[in-house]
Amino acid sequence: MPEKPPRSIVYLSNIPLNLLLNGILIIPFAVMIYLAFVKWSPLMGINWWQAPFAGLANFQRALEDDRFIAALQRTAVFVVATVSIEFLLGLLLSYLLLGEFFGKKIVIALLVYPLMLPPVVVATIFYLFFQPYGPVNNIFLKFIIGEKALDIYWFLQPDLAFITILLADIWQWTPFMFLILYSGLSAVPKRFIEAAEVLGASSWYIFWRIRLPLIKQLVAVAIILRALEAFKVFDYAYVMTGGGPGTATETVSLYIYRLSILYSDISYAASVSLIVLLMIAIASRLFIYFVIERGR
Amino acid sequence: MQMVDSGVFNMRRIIINIIKYMVILFFILWIAIPVAWIISLSFKPYGEWRTASFIPNKPTLDNYIMLFSPRVLSAFIAYTAVIEPITRPMINSVIVASVATLIAVGIGFFVAYGASRYNSPGPFTLFFTLLTRMLPPATFVTPLVVYYTTLSLLDNVIGLILLYAAASVTYAIWIIKGFIDSIPVEWEEVALIEGAKPIEVIRRVVLPIARPGIVVSGLFIFLLSWTELLFALVLTSSQAVTLPVQISKYVTGVGPLYGAQAAAALIGSLPPVIIGYIIQRHLITGFTFGLVRT
Repeated sequence: MPEKPPRSIVYLSNIPLNLLLNGILIIPFAVMIYLAFVKWSPLMGINWWQAPFAGLANFQRALEDDRFIAALQRTAVFVVATVSIEFLLGLLLSYLLLGEFFGKKIVIALLVYPLMLPPVVVATIFYLFFQPYGPVNNIFLKFIIGEKALDIYWFLQPDLAFITILLADIWQWTPFMFLILYSGLSAVPKRFIEAAEVLGASSWYIFWRIRLPLIKQLVAVAIILRALEAFKVFDYAYVMTGGGPGTATETVSLYIYRLSILYSDISYAASVSLIVLLMIAIASRLFIYFVIERGR
Repeated sequence: MQMVDSGVFNMRRIIINIIKYMVILFFILWIAIPVAWIISLSFKPYGEWRTASFIPNKPTLDNYIMLFSPRVLSAFIAYTAVIEPITRPMINSVIVASVATLIAVGIGFFVAYGASRYNSPGPFTLFFTLLTRMLPPATFVTPLVVYYTTLSLLDNVIGLILLYAAASVTYAIWIIKGFIDSIPVEWEEVALIEGAKPIEVIRRVVLPIARPGIVVSGLFIFLLSWTELLFALVLTSSQAVTLPVQISKYVTGVGPLYGAQAAAALIGSLPPVIIGYIIQRHLITGFTFGLVRT
């Protein structure tokens, strides 16, 4: 039996990995669980490990917290709206780009451009684009509804402000859906397509009945990934509206951020975080079970 | 399948093609117009900030100069808050993103090697690292602030570096592991029999083949660390501020300073766009996750 490949490497690598994971992720996680069951804020003037126990008081408060529940509902609407629109647009784009045509590489390079921008930058772009004197009002809407367009203040009306955030997310992440669907659809073996063509199937029929069913699982994964990402939404709301007007566009992430940073309500923020974590864990587990495992 | 070539069919096909290209054109404009307008805004002088035109009348570099010397900036508009020059956040971002990438890829490479050859650290840890990417980062804000305060790592680039490395090491592990899996173990054994030292086996046999994976995962992690806002916002205040935080400050902190905001956004997007185009071709082929039945 010859020597095996270097084993020392294994020991060498696991120590820093475990240090990093434990030090930066697991210990704070334990700290969060502890904080969720005590009553503590830095304003109390004691160290957090000396804080008095509060039992389930924080969780009870969260269930009765209208602002938290409103933020949850809003974020859920955001996830459903963005993910479904992005999916449909991504599907349309990948259908249109399946065939070969002149300049296709350049078109794809342009289409995926938003993916590379930092979300902060996209938020800034949309913030500027929707200013009262920006091009949306001053060029596009003025063209349709006339001078009235200049009086639309996108960030001062709850629904309009929410729409700008939706648009920013759709603008940036439709290319992601497109990339996944497109690479899946073009990986479908040519012989299936050719066989269907010989039998006289239209390209529309081939797309819906042959290509799409073959990438069913990939579609599920794309939707899960996007939904998990969309639920985290923070950057757009923070930069463009700051959750405003009032709390009309406050997402879950923004609410937790404000609880812990602005209001220093640390132990309550920890319990809200824990509830959100639990919900995400259950939701994604259910989704994986129903869509991927049963779909096999 | 050749269709019967009648005039009716040709007309229909032409119309369908025209619609198709118009839809594609619409998407291209939908992406290009906001970016084009921001680029133009960043070159507009103060007097033109509130105009909607796509071409500045008198192009100027004032907006960019403003970002680097805040004195110009405060002279511009009396009521703006004093904002630090963008130089320091830029340097911080370069340091944070590149050191975090080096740590994540360095650890990731060796862990990937162990995972591929010795099934160590085991599937649980590997899956756990992946799990950390799924959970909303906002839920970790509260404990991290408390934890970092206790360790006095707040407003310190080291704190950010460690956090970004820990949160993204999973990409390095999984991407590089795929490449190492494709190397036959026999090659390493032969090299060992020929008298090579273990470290040389890694350097001469494994590293060259895993290099594309190292490069792609490195660029990807750099991109993630460069663009991260939430944690940078929470864990820094003055010394360790990164570029995304600084960009958000121009929008949320200074009022209607449109030209400077546009310029800051463009500066912040330059490195990620360059990197993005380098890894783009890998993305298109690598995005199926092996989930298409063939």
